[in-house]
Amino acid sequence: MSEAALLPRSPLAGLLRPVGGRGAAGVTVAERGSLRIAGLVARAGGAVLADIVRAAYGVDLPTSPRRTEADGLEFIWAGPAQWIVLAEPGADDLAATLRGRFGMLAAVTEQDDARVVLRIAGPRVRDALAKGVPIDLHPRAFGPGDVALTLAGHVPVHLWQVDDGPAYDIAVARSLAGSFCHWLRDSAGEYGMAVEG
Amino acid sequence: MRIPCPHCGERGFQEFAYYGDAGPKRPAHGGDTGEDVWFDYVYLRDNPAGPHEELWYHAAGCRTWLVVTRNTLTHEVAGARPARDVALERSAAP
Repeated sequence: MSEAALLPRSPLAGLLRPVGGRGAAGVTVAERGSLRIAGLVARAGGAVLADIVRAAYGVDLPTSPRRTEADGLEFIWAGPAQWIVLAEPGADDLAATLRGRFGMLAAVTEQDDARVVLRIAGPRVRDALAKGVPIDLHPRAFGPGDVALTLAGHVPVHLWQVDDGPAYDIAVARSLAGSFCHWLRDSAGEYGMAVEG
Repeated sequence: MRIPCPHCGERGFQEFAYYGDAGPKRPAHGGDTGEDVWFDYVYLRDNPAGPHEELWYHAAGCRTWLVVTRNTLTHEVAGARPARDVALERSAAP
């Protein structure tokens, strides 16, 4: 019998395709694959958790829809007293590390394969997103570091602005990544969409 | 109609799910609580024309319950508070 090998496979395999070929792409998209992701929910209140996180990483856990970075980790607001924490691929088991440090003060859940995170940028990215995201992404209303839990073409998304490029990261539940990509290709098609990475 | 979510900011009502009147208070279990009290709690609702406190769930946002004050005649939303805060206040009241 031959040995079966289990290979990791992106939920976007075969779905993330460029659209339109003429001229420079108005929208570029890249999967931030193989991230380490953990959910963090403070038990009763969260003031002590905030103190411990500040002592450990030197940052304040955002108490409004914002994102902060420290020590190679991204702390992203995900609701009252809730956050998701991201670490680059290859990092140690993030959920286990966080549980070891904050397990008494917060519920930590490993989310590595639960979400797909896409980085979407380009000169027409706001126009493409505006077709399905019901919040205002104009710079006067939403800037780098801002976070929102909202919709994109009826798919619940967690999005945050990375820089003034503008570039956005959009996290989608793995099982809805196909629907999201379908919507994104339709929305970005008229501006041309390039796939990186 | 736009709802000022205390956590997310102002959002369209499409992100929310409506539950109903935020007023009814669950009667105590057993003891003297009569059938008529339960009937009132489970089935009977006022139908006010004007400001109304009601429960909305921010399903496509922060996933918390809110008590929204909405004018049923004009859909004007006067405010929204976390339902948790309202419940804590109520349970603290004598």
